Amino acid sequence: MTVDLAIRGRRQWPMPKQADPAAPLLRVEDLSVRFRMPNGSVKAVDGVSFGLDDGEALGIAGESGCGKTTTALSLVKLLPANGYIKGGRVELFGIDLVPKTELQIARYRWREISIVFQGAMNALNPVQRIGDQIAEPIEIRLGQPRESSRKRAGELLELVGIPRERVASYPHELSGGMRQRAMIAMALACDPAIVIGDEPTTALDVMVQAQILQLLERLRRDLGLSLILITHDLSVIAETCDRVMIMYAGRVAEEGQVRRVFSAPRHPYTQKLLSSFPNVRTDRRTLEVIPGMPPDLRNPPPGCRFAPRCPSAMPVCSEVVPPEVRFADGVRVACHLYPTSDVTSDPPGARPAAPTAAGEPAP
Amino acid sequence: MTPATAPPAAAPGIQRRSGSAGRARLFVGRFLSRSDGRYGLLILAFFAVLALFPDLLVGKLETATTATGQSLQPPGGGYLFGTDELGRDILNLTVHGARISMAIGLMATVITVVLGALVGIVAGYVGGPTDTVLMRVSDFFLVLPTIVLAIILAPIILDIVGADAELFGIRATMIVIIVVIGLTSWATTARVIRSQVLSVKMRMFVDRARVVGSGPGRIMRRHVLPNVVNLIVAQAVLTFATAVFTETTLAFIGLGDPFAPSWGQILNSAQGAGAPGLGAWWYIAPPAICVVLVVLAFTLVGNALDDILNPRSGARR
Repeated sequence: MTVDLAIRGRRQWPMPKQADPAAPLLRVEDLSVRFRMPNGSVKAVDGVSFGLDDGEALGIAGESGCGKTTTALSLVKLLPANGYIKGGRVELFGIDLVPKTELQIARYRWREISIVFQGAMNALNPVQRIGDQIAEPIEIRLGQPRESSRKRAGELLELVGIPRERVASYPHELSGGMRQRAMIAMALACDPAIVIGDEPTTALDVMVQAQILQLLERLRRDLGLSLILITHDLSVIAETCDRVMIMYAGRVAEEGQVRRVFSAPRHPYTQKLLSSFPNVRTDRRTLEVIPGMPPDLRNPPPGCRFAPRCPSAMPVCSEVVPPEVRFADGVRVACHLYPTSDVTSDPPGARPAAPTAAGEPAP
Repeated sequence: MTPATAPPAAAPGIQRRSGSAGRARLFVGRFLSRSDGRYGLLILAFFAVLALFPDLLVGKLETATTATGQSLQPPGGGYLFGTDELGRDILNLTVHGARISMAIGLMATVITVVLGALVGIVAGYVGGPTDTVLMRVSDFFLVLPTIVLAIILAPIILDIVGADAELFGIRATMIVIIVVIGLTSWATTARVIRSQVLSVKMRMFVDRARVVGSGPGRIMRRHVLPNVVNLIVAQAVLTFATAVFTETTLAFIGLGDPFAPSWGQILNSAQGAGAPGLGAWWYIAPPAICVVLVVLAFTLVGNALDDILNPRSGARR
């Protein structure tokens, strides 16, 4: 974990009082989220750990219902009424956010971690001007007077490539791409350290999608943002992210640098997921499908949750939860195919610089 | 998975018409293209002129002392609508009655809509026990018979404030009528608005506002209210019709203010003077026709508005 002081120096607003300036930006350890349901509790997120450095982009991928969004939203405790954090730590600048009360966590929402919601049309109030909606967090979270908030809203719109005059527009007067840009402007309103993009490009056509991704990329470079991008589109992650975390049924299957994971996927689920995506460079062929359905998370299978659908499942898979194995190139994989031996003894923060041959656990 | 309880994506057509001048133009166009909206508005405009400028049109309100005609003179001979038993010009009374009836209707509507919108939005948005309590209270008011309540309330309020008391220049008897109409009709409005709020609060922008830091008060004011304003307008227009009609009824049975001749009051005096038995139809017909026309016009306009603005009325395609 590296601390980029240059990026932190660019903050417009002071860091939280309890922040440790030497602590990494975000570290999530063993996070578990449950949902209370009439017929049992759903283990939506189970023992997820990851980190995010200053200025880094992390992509979270996986099929619907695998816990991507829940993981990201539980960072600032934005869970539905029946959801709660069962255990684990979410450390932002070294401050554990999990034990914070609703009142205490409010200071971190939007000011430190903001969200670009999916489906901008639904996330914008149809009868309120765009500028007023962008100014809302500035007024409330930063306590700025209305006039300067409005002015700032205009600047933010310009930052995301919308003419300043459009502050007076209503959402329906903007195109789909512009609405998504406005949502991004709103996410940037309080100069946050981390922006969570919850499927920011879904429901946009490919050209607009590319523009939005370029915009996020530029903002990340210019503003020193850290990005968590939730998507089920692996190509989006390949284009914009430094690291990728593949989730399956509430657990991390594989996590590591995008190049490493995508060029040499180690977890069978990652392999299957990647081969179910079209690739322009390979021969034209029928895309693979992963047979079966994700497990019912009220009653997940013991052992590895992917075992029932896994082509290389072994007897041990359905009995023992696979521990995470860290390879020398920094990729973490939770699969019994890779014997643990002594690789897990690496400190969790360490990322060896020299990668060994892909697919071989480090000695 | 998304904690934001995202509703199924609303049809883009519904949202495209929300807000802004463009929407307003579209709305006026749709309203005027309907014959009910057009005719209703025409009739209302006519009565609005009567109510706004009665002195210019027919001179000051005639009283028993300023009356010039003879008792119960039939139409003709300088009195277009004839005269009443005191020799007052019925045309003069009817035009001035428009102002009083409309004023009472308007004030009762304001009470109804403000109270109804407030209760509806709070009950719908806050939910839980608050919702239950407010809705049970509204149930109570929903089943109250207007006339019975008025007959009971009128003397009580008059006894408390005194019959000659004035509030904002309005005589106590008129206030009683306004309060009674307001009390008995806010519950309907509250129910209609609550149902719409229940759907608005599930929309994602409300969740977004909450995450951004808006408190419940701010969300209700800035996000929920603007999204139910269309319903409030439609409700207000329909309530106005009921209010005018109720006012007429109450005045006719003798709960009105004898010094403020609303249409109901004129009908009441006509009955007291024995106009039907004497064949003085001109005493009864003008105020009665006015009431019917105004109620009809409001209902036409209200239905047109409801069809255009209410997303669930089905006419919005």
